[in-house]
Amino acid sequence: MQNSPALVAVGRTKFGEHYGKEPEKLIEEAWLAASHECGLERKDLEACYISDCFLPITNKLGLEEGFLSELTELHVPMEVTRSVSAALLTACNAIRAGVYKTVLVGGIEKMTDRWDKIRDDLMLLEDPWSYYAGGTPESNHELMLRAYIKKYSINGADLDKLNMALAQVAVKNHAHGAKNEYAQYQRKITLEQVFAARKEARKSLGLYDFAPVSDGASALIVTSEAKAKAICDRPVYVLGTASATDYLNYPARDDLTHFAASKIAMGKASEMSGVATKDIQVLELYDQSTVTEMVSLEDLGFSPVGTAWRDIYESCKDYKGYYTLGGRKVFTNLNGGLKADGNPLGAAGGAQIYEVFKQLSGNAGARQAEGELHYGCSNEFEGFGTKSYINIFGRTKP
Amino acid sequence: MSSEPIERRVSYLGDRLKASRCQICGKEYFEIRDYCSNCGRKSYMKMSPVDLFYEKGKLELATLVTEPTNKFTKLENFVYGIVSFHNGKIRVPGRLTDQIIKEGEIVDVASLEGREVVPRFRRRYSVSKSDVVPTISLAFTLADEYYPHQEYNVVEQGKEYALPGIVGYGVYTSRFRIREGVRERAVPFMDEDSITAAVEAGKVALIHSGIDSSHVGKVYVGSESNPYAVKPIASKVAQVLKLGEEDGDVQGVDAVDTEFACKAATSMFKDAAALVNYPGSGVQNTMVIGADNSQAAPRGCPGGELDLFVGYGAAAFVFGKRDVIAEIEGWYSVTSDTPDFWRRDGEPYPMHGGRFTGDPAYFKHVKKATTKLMDKLKLKAGDVEYFVPHQPNPAFPVKVARDMGFKEEQYTCSLQVNRLGNTYSGCSPVGLAAVLDIAKPNERILVASYGSGAGSDAYLLRTTSQLPDKRNRQKMNIKNLTENKFVQHVDYTTYRRLKLGM
Repeated sequence: MQNSPALVAVGRTKFGEHYGKEPEKLIEEAWLAASHECGLERKDLEACYISDCFLPITNKLGLEEGFLSELTELHVPMEVTRSVSAALLTACNAIRAGVYKTVLVGGIEKMTDRWDKIRDDLMLLEDPWSYYAGGTPESNHELMLRAYIKKYSINGADLDKLNMALAQVAVKNHAHGAKNEYAQYQRKITLEQVFAARKEARKSLGLYDFAPVSDGASALIVTSEAKAKAICDRPVYVLGTASATDYLNYPARDDLTHFAASKIAMGKASEMSGVATKDIQVLELYDQSTVTEMVSLEDLGFSPVGTAWRDIYESCKDYKGYYTLGGRKVFTNLNGGLKADGNPLGAAGGAQIYEVFKQLSGNAGARQAEGELHYGCSNEFEGFGTKSYINIFGRTKP
Repeated sequence: MSSEPIERRVSYLGDRLKASRCQICGKEYFEIRDYCSNCGRKSYMKMSPVDLFYEKGKLELATLVTEPTNKFTKLENFVYGIVSFHNGKIRVPGRLTDQIIKEGEIVDVASLEGREVVPRFRRRYSVSKSDVVPTISLAFTLADEYYPHQEYNVVEQGKEYALPGIVGYGVYTSRFRIREGVRERAVPFMDEDSITAAVEAGKVALIHSGIDSSHVGKVYVGSESNPYAVKPIASKVAQVLKLGEEDGDVQGVDAVDTEFACKAATSMFKDAAALVNYPGSGVQNTMVIGADNSQAAPRGCPGGELDLFVGYGAAAFVFGKRDVIAEIEGWYSVTSDTPDFWRRDGEPYPMHGGRFTGDPAYFKHVKKATTKLMDKLKLKAGDVEYFVPHQPNPAFPVKVARDMGFKEEQYTCSLQVNRLGNTYSGCSPVGLAAVLDIAKPNERILVASYGSGAGSDAYLLRTTSQLPDKRNRQKMNIKNLTENKFVQHVDYTTYRRLKLGM
């Protein structure tokens, strides 16, 4: 298939606080890095799909395409989505349809410009009724954890292990983040710190169980297979892109312990790509919290339902850089996850794909996963699982 | 800045907890739906409206919020979770209200899961003083604590009486009290105000009366602490309680706020009674509510003396001619331009005339109205079983009763000012409610309200045999409110903070 989409280059900024930079500067930086990597110029771009979750709110930028046009002096079609995965899906569909051959996909978010109101913005956009009732960006995660513990009757020593497993998720992600020069937090943390923060919060989840608020941008250059082969030695194929949708209001969903949208999207992406869960070696999960990393392992089929905490616990007792899931090594959140890498909403999915690209093409430096890598997968949310995107990538086509 | 149209829509659904049920498959939804997602187009026009306002829910999952979003920061720490109704067919988010959780306090949220909860109509969150006051009923209290769950059962109205009168009533006050010496006063929780008290009192009055809320043709709300200078509380009461015939999102009812210091509500008793008695009105029932989060400047400031007595609460009375529990036999009102207590527009706290509020104000008017009514009806003090004088403080009502020859047993049971404080517009109505709670059939009750500015309304009521019959419909009586073991006491600083609200 000449029109199969492939990634030829990726770029990103450091995630964190960029008080001195405008959103335009961030995407410019990410684009230039990607452009430099593959040698494509801006005049080669036929279209741009850029995502941001709430730049119109944080930076009062209503027509993002306009400033991108000014920045690039391009007058090509540009559309804005809310997540990089949504932008990628749209770009890939256009390439598959033969409409474009070279497309820029990117994401920007500038959350710290509105640091004092960001939690209200987040919650109001994510789940308005829950916001009106007093919910916080953290509370749905805490309620999901309660629902999970009750549904699977986890108590006693098992509950201690589950709480430990969640702490291990944070510690593991920080350990990976420590090797990522672009990560917001490039330092290790300890289990003691995670538990101390929970005690401080008087809750099952504390500061270290949640991803931070971040600024940042990411960029991906997607081309048709033919074009990719012409300009790049080791393109990474976008084999499957799928998404599914669920209620905005978390309490009203049928299943409070899992993300239905993730299960559906994973099924569709697997079908589209011909790559099964058991084939995936590099995995980027959307760890808004340690709970979502745990639950997502089940939703994507890596762990049987109700057991991901056990898999995490066993893998992390003596962590070797990967989870052992179903007897296989699954390298999970090698960039540090949202927890350590940072979570600039509209750009975070790009950092996940950046990582999968670097790992599959063998250019991940100190973070490079061992062994022969064939397939990777990234999962991105919009909201609290209201939308779930699955992207499956491969060095080769199955 | 909130958007008024958004505010209107959220309140319209959230105040009453409106939901929908598919007549085909039975699936239920929070919010109003035109279609069922299971049944699709064939369910159009087959979605029944359901509302959860009078229902009891279950707290399914709970967590503690210790870092609220900006609009909830004044609540500091609270329990938040998911509440289910109808055996889990509907789940909504909600917070537990009426709980003071201290900084650093450990809350065993798991032990709260599975408990039954009752929706409370409260302020939703903090907004700027120039914004619309947002409300919601996604605030809950535990059903086995201060507020019991009460079902609203509409009862076919029976016997028609010769005179119009009260067919039901209800008193609402908060769980919190401040105790100073022998005096105890009600303190609103952070999310309460005169609007929330008026709605909750109207709700319990409807429950007690058993009338169909659509039969209420007019509602009057008397208050001097309406958070708005312009915008009625009565419109909120009418919408939330569905008073009058419902037609789309408009209610076929007249709703009006009244103001005359503490007699804003009692003044309207005669109007409410007259309206149901007027042959051409077609109005079966009317409702009068007196509601106040009684205002007082802090102690030591001008007007701060009031801070010793102010309370919080509301009383609501439903009037009609059928199934009357107390007929109105007569009234007399007096008025003079006496500036003994006032609050200028834009000022947060009222001022008062010190000793001037006594003889030339309270005593003169209460005595005049009472005497005139007794003369008119040829009554002596000994002819009535109960005397209910307005009670702004503990001393005035006792003195006026004694001066007029009433005996202790005639007036003591009406005095609630030492337990709930001066509830301003709700003050003499609360006294009347306390008497109705215990009176026997065919007893006479003489009520004399007082409103600064100044005036007094005296009413003579005669109880009927239906009074004791209806008593078991009302768990929220004065005894329950004042002797409730779930009452929580707060210190002076907390009391001032709670009174200011969100």
